[in-house]
Amino acid sequence: MNIEALIASTFDGLMLGFVFGLMAMGLTLIFGVMKVINLGHGPLIAIGMFAVLVMSQSLGINPYLTLPVIIVIGLLTGIVMYFVALHRVINSPELTTLLATFSVNMMITGLMTVIFSTSPRGLDVTLGSLQFGRVTILGTRVAAVVIAVVVTIALYFFLYRTRQGKSIRAVANNRGAAELMGINSSWVLGLSFGIGAMLAMISGMLLATMFSFTVLTGNALETKSFVIVVLGGLGNPTGALFGGIIIGLLESITTIFIPVSWVPVLEFVVFIMILLVRPNGIFGARSS
Amino acid sequence: MSTLQVTNLESGYGEVQILWSLSLGLQPGKLTSLVGSNGSGKTTLLRAVTGLIKPWKGNVMFDGKDVTKISPHEKAEMGLVLVPEARQLFTDMSVLENLEMGATPKAARAEFAQTLEWVYSLLPRLKERQNQLTGTLSGGEQQMVAIARGLMAKPKVLMFDELSLGLSPLLVINLFEVLLKLKTQGLTMLLVEQNVQMALAVSDYAYVLSNGRVDIEGESRTVMGMESVRKAYLGI
Repeated sequence: MNIEALIASTFDGLMLGFVFGLMAMGLTLIFGVMKVINLGHGPLIAIGMFAVLVMSQSLGINPYLTLPVIIVIGLLTGIVMYFVALHRVINSPELTTLLATFSVNMMITGLMTVIFSTSPRGLDVTLGSLQFGRVTILGTRVAAVVIAVVVTIALYFFLYRTRQGKSIRAVANNRGAAELMGINSSWVLGLSFGIGAMLAMISGMLLATMFSFTVLTGNALETKSFVIVVLGGLGNPTGALFGGIIIGLLESITTIFIPVSWVPVLEFVVFIMILLVRPNGIFGARSS
Repeated sequence: MSTLQVTNLESGYGEVQILWSLSLGLQPGKLTSLVGSNGSGKTTLLRAVTGLIKPWKGNVMFDGKDVTKISPHEKAEMGLVLVPEARQLFTDMSVLENLEMGATPKAARAEFAQTLEWVYSLLPRLKERQNQLTGTLSGGEQQMVAIARGLMAKPKVLMFDELSLGLSPLLVINLFEVLLKLKTQGLTMLLVEQNVQMALAVSDYAYVLSNGRVDIEGESRTVMGMESVRKAYLGI
């Protein structure tokens, strides 16, 4: 082991962590607002990956310029998904909403397998690299971090500074009271789901610029999102960001010492430890 | 003509009927109280009127329109606003943010700044606390936020569910003084209270509910003097 490898992995992990955090924020936001665990999160990430693939390969658009389109597709897909699959069962027990979102997962995964098959894909994107001594930082990772951070800041600005964003927080806090104040909670829930889906798709797009992927990659990332969300505390976006960074660091630093195939094992060991020791997550509230 | 008119309303939960052909009306600019013991159907009536539960039979007229089947958020938009029992504040948000959420109806949004100034003048304590999370306030201050949040909607009719619950007698008197001030400004209000003596003392007109029906109605002063009311609710 040499010190350069450690520094490089730390940087790598930190940058990857921001994207993981963004990805998990989508899941945790939806849970925080409507107490629904979105089992359709993975396919939404995959849609982001394939949307950027199709647009850059078939239409020749620069992958980073697809961001606005991905944002719109994400919002719309999420809002439609909410009103088609979730709205009628939103007050049902958890199992019903789990099944509803899981069936959306199956449908999207099935459909995408038919269209794209499950063979690995990759984007042809290079942004050069930064060199610090013997440590190399890839331009794609820097770009991904910048986008992830900007999106996170925009999300917080939206939630804390705009009326729509505040009504999302109000509905998350007390849906009945929000209705009594004249807030159309159905619309707010749909919008929140749209934002959650949008975050999943943006992270999918960013991850597609870094790794090769298949239709099924989204589902692997969904389980990773669960680990991150539980690490950071369910329903807590800031926690998800820190959880993402922890998992990103864990993932890239441990690969210096152990084979890559062991990383998921390690992640789930951490997951189970957290559930046993601090079920509300490292950054979650201590109560109950 | 009354602003809010409930006619032959029946409702309940699941198979259990709570309200039995209940009728009542609010006179514009008056403070009406609805009193009765625990379980007499007061809260259920408010839930049916706002649309949080579905009325089974009968209708609710507001401002000349039939609003029986309209959802709570649309009623709030029209100006029929409830200050709910146990306050139901947005506890993770600041006082000011709670007030902003109160001003959700379009008409209220347009006049936000003036309404906020007026509400702060009625409840000056809230101005000092405006950036504090409502979850960290005392019970009395939280009740003030709940009233203020309701007022921010610029309601035509404001309804209060169990305003006095869990508050010290002195605080209750302070809050009722605010209601009297609002009455002199012409606001139509419905006060649903377990604290019968207080409610009858401040209101103009009163309905006494018992087993989901209107048992007695009349001028509050008259109702307070009734032998049966004194025995059953006032313990005199």
